[in-house]
This record gives sequence, structure tokens and C-alpha cells, in this order.
Amino acid sequence: MQAKAWKANFTTLTIVLIPVAVGINYVGKFFAATLKLPLWLDSIGTVLSGMLAGPWIGAISGAVNNAIFGITLDPVSFWYLITSIMIGLVVGYLAFTGWIRTPGRALVLGLVVAGVAAVVSTPINVLLWHGQTGNVWGDALYAALVHRGTPVWIASFLDEAVVDILDKVITVFLSFLIYKALPARLVKLFGGAHQEVESL
Amino acid sequence: MQLSLYVPGKTWVHRLDPITKLLAVLVAVVLTFVLPGFFSQAGILLVSLAMLGSAGVLRRAAPVLAGVFILPLTFFVVQGLVYPGNVHPAVALGPVVFYREGLLLGLSLTLRLYNILSAALILVLVTRPSDLVEALVRRGAPPRLGYVMIAVLQIIPIMVASTQTILDAQRSRGMETEGSLWVRIRAFLPLMGPLVTNSLISTEERALALEVRGFAGGGKRTFLKDEQIPPYAMAMRILVLAALVLGIGGRWLWGWR
Amino acid sequence: MALIEVQDLRYRYPDQQGLALDGISFSVEPGEFVGIIGPNRAGKSTLCQALVGLVPHFYKGAIGGRVVADGLDVHKHPVAEVARRVGLVFQNPFTQISGAKFTVYEEVAFGLENAGVPREEMIPRIEEALRLLGLEELKDRSPFALSGGQMQRLAIASVLAMRPKVLVLDEPTSQLDPEGTGEVFAAMAALCRQGMAVVVAEHKVERLAPLAGKILVLHAGRRVAFDSPRRVFAREDLPALGVAVPPVTEAARRLGWRFEDGTYPVTTEEAEELARKNLVAAGGGGGGRG
Repeated sequence: MQAKAWKANFTTLTIVLIPVAVGINYVGKFFAATLKLPLWLDSIGTVLSGMLAGPWIGAISGAVNNAIFGITLDPVSFWYLITSIMIGLVVGYLAFTGWIRTPGRALVLGLVVAGVAAVVSTPINVLLWHGQTGNVWGDALYAALVHRGTPVWIASFLDEAVVDILDKVITVFLSFLIYKALPARLVKLFGGAHQEVESL
Repeated sequence: MQLSLYVPGKTWVHRLDPITKLLAVLVAVVLTFVLPGFFSQAGILLVSLAMLGSAGVLRRAAPVLAGVFILPLTFFVVQGLVYPGNVHPAVALGPVVFYREGLLLGLSLTLRLYNILSAALILVLVTRPSDLVEALVRRGAPPRLGYVMIAVLQIIPIMVASTQTILDAQRSRGMETEGSLWVRIRAFLPLMGPLVTNSLISTEERALALEVRGFAGGGKRTFLKDEQIPPYAMAMRILVLAALVLGIGGRWLWGWR
Repeated sequence: MALIEVQDLRYRYPDQQGLALDGISFSVEPGEFVGIIGPNRAGKSTLCQALVGLVPHFYKGAIGGRVVADGLDVHKHPVAEVARRVGLVFQNPFTQISGAKFTVYEEVAFGLENAGVPREEMIPRIEEALRLLGLEELKDRSPFALSGGQMQRLAIASVLAMRPKVLVLDEPTSQLDPEGTGEVFAAMAALCRQGMAVVVAEHKVERLAPLAGKILVLHAGRRVAFDSPRRVFAREDLPALGVAVPPVTEAARRLGWRFEDGTYPVTTEEAEELARKNLVAAGGGGGGRG
């Protein structure tokens, strides 16, 4: 879409997008819980804001998401701020270079996001909880691996990755479907496709 | 639904300005990492709990602190069993052996978790979120970021309220929201899609409405409310910073734990 | 001098071929009430947005001609600056709530804080705006807890507190029930009586006709007419253009009830007056129509 993917895109419209993105994250989490899905699905808004408004707005949406939940409902989420920021950055950058065009690429992007999330979260898990994640399935794997003598870092990474892969692939794919269903005019407006006023 | 857990009140902790409270919380969290010993951890925890107590919000803090119990439980189980530094068996339940080193590490991680939580709760339970944001904007935080933080607090309860409407509407059209995993997964997109699309589309008009109220103007801003800082806030700030300096000095000069 | 002066305004949205506004000229004098009517997609919203500079500053695209608001060239100044002279109220009451404030009172303060209005000046302005829109009793409520009509009045109060010279409203009642619509029209009429210039794009012509001093008719981005309601609604071409006419005017046309100048009544009061005259004329023995 644009040559300069890293260009700042802070307009009133993209600023207004941020709280909406955080709201979407929360609603995703809420519906996933209501339907008792074995997934979080709590970063759809962050991914969408990255797709629509680029890496910086994506990153800020992620940061604000965790900061707000950190100071309101779930203080621990504050520590995973960096993970959310990275998700927004990666999605926003790839969207703004025009890389995400097909559903197939959306799936690949899901894997990339899962990988990035796991890489960034691992040091936080190691620093805070000696590598655990608090997710039952992930921690069971962690326990088994550490028991066999696998280094804590690697066990922790796999602990996180197991939790992340399916969740992030589905998150990114659903976001892609929603993104594709939006009016093209609005998508361009978010993306700041037109910068100059011409004269008639 | 209320997103914020803020409990209104008039205690001295409530009246303390948000910046002082923020400072106290940050120092408590930093000290948790600087002084990882059991006694230091327990001491910091006691101070945080005492603050929560004198603000009259312990009763509200309890469910939050209890709500994360699963995390400490996994700390004890996993570290007690498999911590690489495990040497001395402590408890044996049949073939399962918990080691002392791992259990102690579990205890230390638990104390750390509760320290972070209790400190954060001073801010969460005793500070009106919009006061915190406004205090930060007054001190040079970008006003647009301030807008974002407060708008999030307002938008989430509104979106959650509409989730119930959507759930009811889709169920009345015969959508199944219970049953096999596949049925439930298929229900997710029809629930999410309309809400997400509508909220994204409405951002355009909200942005326009903000523009005509000078949102994008870069000039000096003013505030409707006057800032109230109680006289004892300064003493509190000095006390908190002294604790930080003492903690860091103690750790590196005198080898405190 | 006119408060708003629009000269040969032309505008094209990005990626579009045709012009959304094509050679529009008109002006708004102090204290005047101007209605903008026309079918959907005639350019009413675009024109309203052009009066505060959202077109072209927000949407970009291509612009020509001139818009001068209270002496300020709108195309050369940012929206935040124009907004202190021209207030704009939108269709959807809900999306106009800033979301940054927790009470009605604070919501009205939002624009003043952005504009850097000193605190001492803010309070009387807020209270005046709340009083004018009849919102004093709701001032401590959450903005989101209001009815549609109340929310729209809050949107008007919020814009009014900025003390603009002209208030522009873009279909402010299209999402309201009859009760809310009545509230908003009453508020617009009251503001105009107090000397505020009001420009409103609206489909409900029967409500517009009694209030408006002038009506601007748009079709396909062009100005079809800009005249008094009586003269505008006397035009024969309006139905063909898809422009609604007040039912009373339509009925009078069918009955052939005209004023001397060839126009039809546009309000029930005018129709009654005309009917009385006709009766007098009929009673006087003459069969001629006025």
C-alpha cells in the first residue's frame, strides 16, 4: 500500500482507532470465554489496528491494551506489554509493505506473530516466574521438559509457543477476514493513503 | 459493567495525588526485584497491605489476590518437582517428591507476585483512573494518549453491553452457542464480525466530531478541574524515594537481600 | 459582512471521478436560519463539512473555489481554528460523545480544554450552553446514559460552548424518534431567536419550512435554488429531482391555493391564512383566487 511502512500515521482517526482496538480485544476475549473456546482470541483489535493504521498505531494499541488491563483488572498483564507491542509492530509493518494480500499469507503471518510473541514473552516468563506461563497445558509441557534436563529457557519458550500458535494463527486469520470485509474507502482513510489536498 | 475497580473514598490514601501514589507503586515494584530475600519481600508486602488497609479497601483487594491462586500453586508444584537446583527432598507424596530448593523458589515467586499485585492495587483501587491520566497529561504526557486511556475505560463497558444484545439476537435467529467445539468455533465470527465492523466504521464520525471540538489543535490546553495535592504528599514522596535509595544502597553496599 | 461566504466551491473525494460539490455559491448572514435540502448523495453532508474545513483537511481530495467563515479562509486554516467560528453537529448522537469524559458537564468542557480556554471562563460558558439546551438537570449524568434526543442536545451544547458565530447541523434528527426530533428543532429555533446563525441540512422539510429564512436546494452536487422557502417550494421541478416538499404545500398545489406572488403556503399557519382570505373572497361574492 505504501512505500514508507514506518512513517508515522497519527491522525485523529487513527488515534480514535486505538480505544476501539482495545475494546475489540476485550470483546474477542469475552466471546471466546462465553463460547468456552480453548483459545484467548484477545488480540484481534491489536492485529486489526496494525493492519489498518500501520506499525506504530498497532504497537500503541497493544501497549495501551496491556497498560489498561494492568492498572485495572489484571496487574500481571502489564508485564506482557512488550509482547503486545511487538504483535502490533509486526502486523502493521507487513500490512503496510503490502505483504498481506491472500488468505494463505494471513496464515503465515499468524505463525510469524505466534513466533514473535513466544520469543518476546519467554524472557519475561523467565524473569518473573522462572519460565512458567500459568497456562495449564503449557506448564505441563514445561514441567516435563525441565524434568528431562532441558534448559529452562528452551522449556519456557516451548511452553509459551504451545499456547500461542493456534491462538495467534486463528486471531490473525479472523482479523484478516474482517479487514477484507471493510469498505475500501475507510481502509484508505485509516491508512492515510492520501496526504495532499489538490486544487481544482 | 464497570471496568475500573476504583473504590471511592476520602481516606488519606485517596486524597494523596495520583503522581505520589504512582511513585510509591513503582518504588515498591523495583524494590521487589532489588531485594529478593524473604524478609525484604515480606516487609514490602506488609507496607503495601497496610496502605490498602488504611484506605479501607482490603475487602476489595482480597478477591483479586485470591483470584490468582492458581499461579502460586503452579509455582510450588512445578518448581518443587523440577527446579534444576533441587537437591534436598522435602515432602514425598508416594512416588512424587517435592524438593526444598524448588519449594523455596516457589515461595519467593509467590511473594513477588503478591508484592506486584498489592502495590498495583494501591493505584487500581484507590485512584480514579481519569485523575491519574489527567495528572500525567498536566505533566506533559501527550493529551492524545490521555484521551486514548480514558476512552478505553468508557468504550469497553459499552462494547460489553452490546455483546449481550448480539448474543441474544443471534441465538433468537437459531445460532448455536453450545455443543461441540466446532459448533462453538463457528459461532465466533458471526458474533464478532458485526460488532467489530460497526465499531470500526463509527470511528470515522467520532474522529470528525473530535476534530470540530479542537482535538487536533496543538495549542496549550487547560483543565476544568483544579489539581488537589495534599500537604503531606511531599513528605510521602521524600519517604518513598529515601526507601528506594536505601534499598539500592543496601543491596550493593552492604549486601542486603 | 456575511458570516459565511461560499464562492464557486468545487470538491472531489480521493479516488473519485465526479465532483461531490460542483460550483456552489451562497452566503449566510448573522442571525439567519438556512436549510439545506436535497435527495440522498446530493452533497448535503459534504457541504456541511466544507463549512468547517473537514472537507478538504480531513478527507483530502481536490478542492476549488472559496469558503470564508467569519473572515477566515477555511481552506488555509486548520479545522481546530475554524471550529471556534463555525460549530458542526453530526447525524449520530452516539458517535459525537467524545468518550473522554464521565459526566455531561465535563463533556461540554472537552472542546474548551482543547482550545485552551481559561478555567474561569470555562465555567460560565458551560453553564450557559447547558441552560440553552435545557440540560442543567442532567449535568452529573454519564453522557452515555442519555436518550437520543438528550444526547443530540448535548452534542449541540458541546459545540455551542465553543461560542461559534454559526451553528451547522448535518441531519441532526435523522437518527431520532419524533420526540427527540422535536427537542432538537425547538433548540435550533431558540438559538436562532437569540441571534445565532443556523445552517441545517435536513430531510424533514415540513419542520424546516416554518423556521428557515432561506432554503438551499442541492442536487448532484449542484445548487438548484437558494431562496425563501415559499419561492423554493413553488418550483415545479422539485419532485422530479427527488426533493421533498412539505405536505401542506403539496396539498395547496393540488387545490390551486396560491398567494398573489404565485407561491404556495409552506406552513399550516400560512395555509390557514390563505384559506381565511379565500373564504373572505368567496363570501364577498367573487370566485377568483388570491
